[in-house]
Amino acid sequence: MITTTNLTKKYGEHTALNQLNLKVNEGEIYCLLGANGAGKTTTINLLLGFVSPTSGSAHISQLNVHENTKATKKFLAYIPENLMLYPTLTAVENLDYFSGIAGKKLSTALLKDFLEEAGLQSEAFDKRISTFSKGMRQKVGIAIAMAKEAKVLLLDEPTSGLDPKASNEFGMLLRKLRNKGVATLMATHDLFRAKEVGTRVGIMKDGQLKQEFNVENISLNELELFYLDTMNLKEASL
Amino acid sequence: MISKTFLKETKELFREGRVRIAFLIVLLLLGVAVWISVEQYQNTNEQYAAAKNAEREVWNNQGEKNPHSAAHYGTYAFKPKYPLSLVDQGVDKYTGTSIFLEAHKRNEAQFSAAADQTGLARFGDLTPDFILLFIIPLLIILLGYNSFTKEREMGTLTLLKSQGISSFKWLMGKWSALFLPIFTITAVVFLLAGVLLTNLKDFGVFKWNSLLVMFLVYVAYYIIFINMVLLVSSLVKKSGISLVVSLSIWILACLAVPKAASNIAESKHPYPTRQEFAANVLEDKKKGVDGHNPWSKEAKMLEEQVLKEYGVDSLHQLPFNFSAYRMQKGEEHEAEVYFKHYNYLKEQYVNQSRVYRGLAAISPYLPTRFLSMAIASTDYDTHWDFADAAETYRIATQKFLNDNTAQNTKYGERGYKASADFWKKLPAFKYDPPELTSIIDRNSSNIGILGVWLLASFTVLFFTSKIV
Amino acid sequence: MSLILLLLFGFATYNGLQKVEKRKSDILAAKTEVKENDVLMLKLLDSVERGLSVNATPWTIPTSPMAVGNYHPRVAAMEPQPMTFISTGQADVFTHYVKPTVRSDDFALNFTEMTSPVQLLFGSFDLAFVIVYLLPLLIIAFSYNVLSAEKESGSLRLLAAQPIRIQTWVAQKLGLRFFWLSLLVIVSLLVVFTLLGLSFIVKTTTFFGLLGLTLTYMLFWFAIAFLVNLWVGSSAKNAVALLGLWVTFVLLVPSVLNQLGNTIYPMPSRNLMINEMRNLKADVTEKQDEILDNFLRDHPEYALNDSTQSRGFYHRYMASQELIREELSPLVSSFEEQLQKQQAWIGKFKWISPAILAQESLSKMSGTSKSDYEDYRKQVIVFAGKWREHLIPFLYNNQDFTQADYKDLPTFNYQPNSYSKWMASFMILIIGFCLFGLGLLRAKSLGAAGILK
Repeated sequence: MITTTNLTKKYGEHTALNQLNLKVNEGEIYCLLGANGAGKTTTINLLLGFVSPTSGSAHISQLNVHENTKATKKFLAYIPENLMLYPTLTAVENLDYFSGIAGKKLSTALLKDFLEEAGLQSEAFDKRISTFSKGMRQKVGIAIAMAKEAKVLLLDEPTSGLDPKASNEFGMLLRKLRNKGVATLMATHDLFRAKEVGTRVGIMKDGQLKQEFNVENISLNELELFYLDTMNLKEASL
Repeated sequence: MISKTFLKETKELFREGRVRIAFLIVLLLLGVAVWISVEQYQNTNEQYAAAKNAEREVWNNQGEKNPHSAAHYGTYAFKPKYPLSLVDQGVDKYTGTSIFLEAHKRNEAQFSAAADQTGLARFGDLTPDFILLFIIPLLIILLGYNSFTKEREMGTLTLLKSQGISSFKWLMGKWSALFLPIFTITAVVFLLAGVLLTNLKDFGVFKWNSLLVMFLVYVAYYIIFINMVLLVSSLVKKSGISLVVSLSIWILACLAVPKAASNIAESKHPYPTRQEFAANVLEDKKKGVDGHNPWSKEAKMLEEQVLKEYGVDSLHQLPFNFSAYRMQKGEEHEAEVYFKHYNYLKEQYVNQSRVYRGLAAISPYLPTRFLSMAIASTDYDTHWDFADAAETYRIATQKFLNDNTAQNTKYGERGYKASADFWKKLPAFKYDPPELTSIIDRNSSNIGILGVWLLASFTVLFFTSKIV
Repeated sequence: MSLILLLLFGFATYNGLQKVEKRKSDILAAKTEVKENDVLMLKLLDSVERGLSVNATPWTIPTSPMAVGNYHPRVAAMEPQPMTFISTGQADVFTHYVKPTVRSDDFALNFTEMTSPVQLLFGSFDLAFVIVYLLPLLIIAFSYNVLSAEKESGSLRLLAAQPIRIQTWVAQKLGLRFFWLSLLVIVSLLVVFTLLGLSFIVKTTTFFGLLGLTLTYMLFWFAIAFLVNLWVGSSAKNAVALLGLWVTFVLLVPSVLNQLGNTIYPMPSRNLMINEMRNLKADVTEKQDEILDNFLRDHPEYALNDSTQSRGFYHRYMASQELIREELSPLVSSFEEQLQKQQAWIGKFKWISPAILAQESLSKMSGTSKSDYEDYRKQVIVFAGKWREHLIPFLYNNQDFTQADYKDLPTFNYQPNSYSKWMASFMILIIGFCLFGLGLLRAKSLGAAGILK
């Protein structure tokens, strides 16, 4: 579960995140929409403990992120926009190493199972990452998240650069994880995918959460309109 | 997690072309260097044995001759090569290999190899110590300069951070991945050297514990470099900069500082020129008894003193040949003069050593070099030791010869010739290099400096490297 | 960057100058000492000629030509050249003045200087070191990623779309850096020289020779950087390749060549030479009278001139020495020959590494190369011969040495080697251009697409 309470981050004079109040429950996929610089990545960085908040707090599974950076990392998995793995190692070796860092000792068979579950073709298991497309790397990222048995998943623009098929496969994976009870926060520009897999949608502008919707209550067209509208709004409060 | 990082790093290293090539090249160079070293070692020792025996033959077969003529004819003391010089040639190229032992004069070792070679000799030789001291640190830089920067540049750092990586364990994993190949290469070289040396016809006693100590010195040296390279990699943002910085450290430590140190040491504590030295010695010699000159003031004084001591009126009444006695006293005086002047040289060298030790603060190469040479018995101290031993032997030889004349002739007798088998009675010159324990004692300050470097580099690495 | 250059050049030149100063003062001290001794000698001669008794050991009285020959030798000095401060070369191994006496053996004449061998091992921080070793590293540091940085930041693709050929662009970039670095180097050198009070104006051609060599050497390294940028690829790989090349050219090739030279033309054993010499001396000492007779037979003029016909120790000794010299000369020259063969063989291959060419050229400019010292040694031996030849007639004619004879004593004047100043620079330039040409050819065959990969 992800909770932020009045989360604020200032870099000098510039306010990157302003009083963010956000909640993502288990089994939910929350899609965070917004233009570049709206504060999506800052939110994710704060949740990861990569930066510390100026005020307010963020909680992962009831633990305060800032005070328990190491412990909270045990529960969450992160797939950045450009997931980079070790190019000279194979998929299995990469999965082995990253899960090892997280403290998991898994047999090769188990690792391969995770890769399979993540949708990677078995021929690719022992091939070097340097030969992988972005989609394939994403799958390995999901496998890492699964192997970690993470309760929380943070995604930053996961479908950018993916062709429709790969994007679709990714969406299915996310639903799989959602059904397992994982709380997912996905920062994205992809309105279509947000409508496809999301439980709720939030629109950010200038570091503030402007609008929130339940996905089932809104159509794709409406979503797009709201999105563009929010972008054009000057100073509107929620 | 340490072992996982270690495995992953090792896999990465060996899957990279540049690493494999570099490794192969270094192994090749080492192989060639060791082979050349072995050849040279065998050659030199054969020559040494031949020369030593031939010289002894010449001395023994002088036939009937006046002992003092023999003293002027003189003999030679040759310097052998010791087993560990296979690994580190030290200063042997620049010191002479033979000392001429004659009456009234202490000579320097002659015929250094460098004086006979072309200017290329100053670039350095393809010897194991060249590879061990210069090339392997370069290999360390090559393998480790991007150890941390690559994670940042590749983008894997983000994922690692999100997995909750521990800085210390990560560092240890990378450290051990860098340490293992270096340790392996070094161990292989030393084992190879040890095996070769036990199979060669020895001209010195080869001890495994000297080899071990030398091995440890080099391992310490490499650990210091590993620490520095990893530190730079963790502090800097880009691989390119990391490489340049580590390289600068290498150049500074291994090339620039030793050269600068030698310049500073020489200008602060210079040696006299050869001519100047000879002139000073001559000055001092004149102030005492000269065995060849019975009319000098000092000779007269000696006469009076001895006559009084034995309570006789004329030299003919003494129970021994006074000319020979005077010769011996002259010899002793001259030896003292030389002792004083050579001591001055030693003092200058001690002062120069202090400069080197001072500058070791910015270069771990210096203490390593000195220790390595000391253990291999190819350092300057060992040369001094040998020269002093040769001098002691020379003085003993002169006494042996002069005493013979003093005992077997009467004052005023001319034309005395010792019998042909007298010469064999002179014991042969024997020199043994210092033992390992005394070498360690003598070089304790260098060991200390190396220890400080080890400690400091580890401390700085662990506390300063902000990795995650 | 300019600060670093200034510091390096400054420290190096300062060291070089210090060594030159020491050399000059040593030689001066020696010459002064000889002058003072000469004054004493003339006084003694004066006293003796006036019939006064003198207070000196009999065999050192300078009426005896051998006493003059042994106790009042001349200084045979190797004066430093104007540019000696540039490169220490072999100046720390060999001595710069010798005082050959009539008694000294040619091969026993010790030309090596009393130096701590540790110093010889480490070498000297001189200008040659900075130019040959350090300058290339600076060049590598500033040119290893000219092409690869653009490739990695992605802007190369944009450039490739512009109406300029990639290789021209790379050459231009490198050319610009070469220009600026050359300027910096020239200015730094000038500043350092002026600050340290050197009048390089006096020897402008040599100064330009130095500049020429430095610049062509730099050009070579830029050409290598050009090639590597085009051929290799990523910044990391470029850096590693360039470094490897530096190690090869500056460290490995010289030491491998040296090793090969030693293996193909090994120097004969000095120790065995000693044995030969001793055997010969032993033989000769026995036959001294016979040798003397032979000698006099070969030099009948002495028998005619001398009325007393007395023969002393020196008569026999000098004749024997003559014989020994003759007998041993093939052995001694075998060393010289072997050294020459080594030099010649190395000379054939030294162009493989411009570092060797540059170092050698700098040493020649400084007059501190091995051949300079060989030359000096030969000149000294010739002078020693002249010194002997001058005094021997006195000895065998049993003639006294007088004050009037003083002015006829031979003196030594060192003739420095002349060498072609431009040869090395020219060779390096050719190599540099060849490399550039290679680079351009390669770039052409790659095409823009190839470079972008």
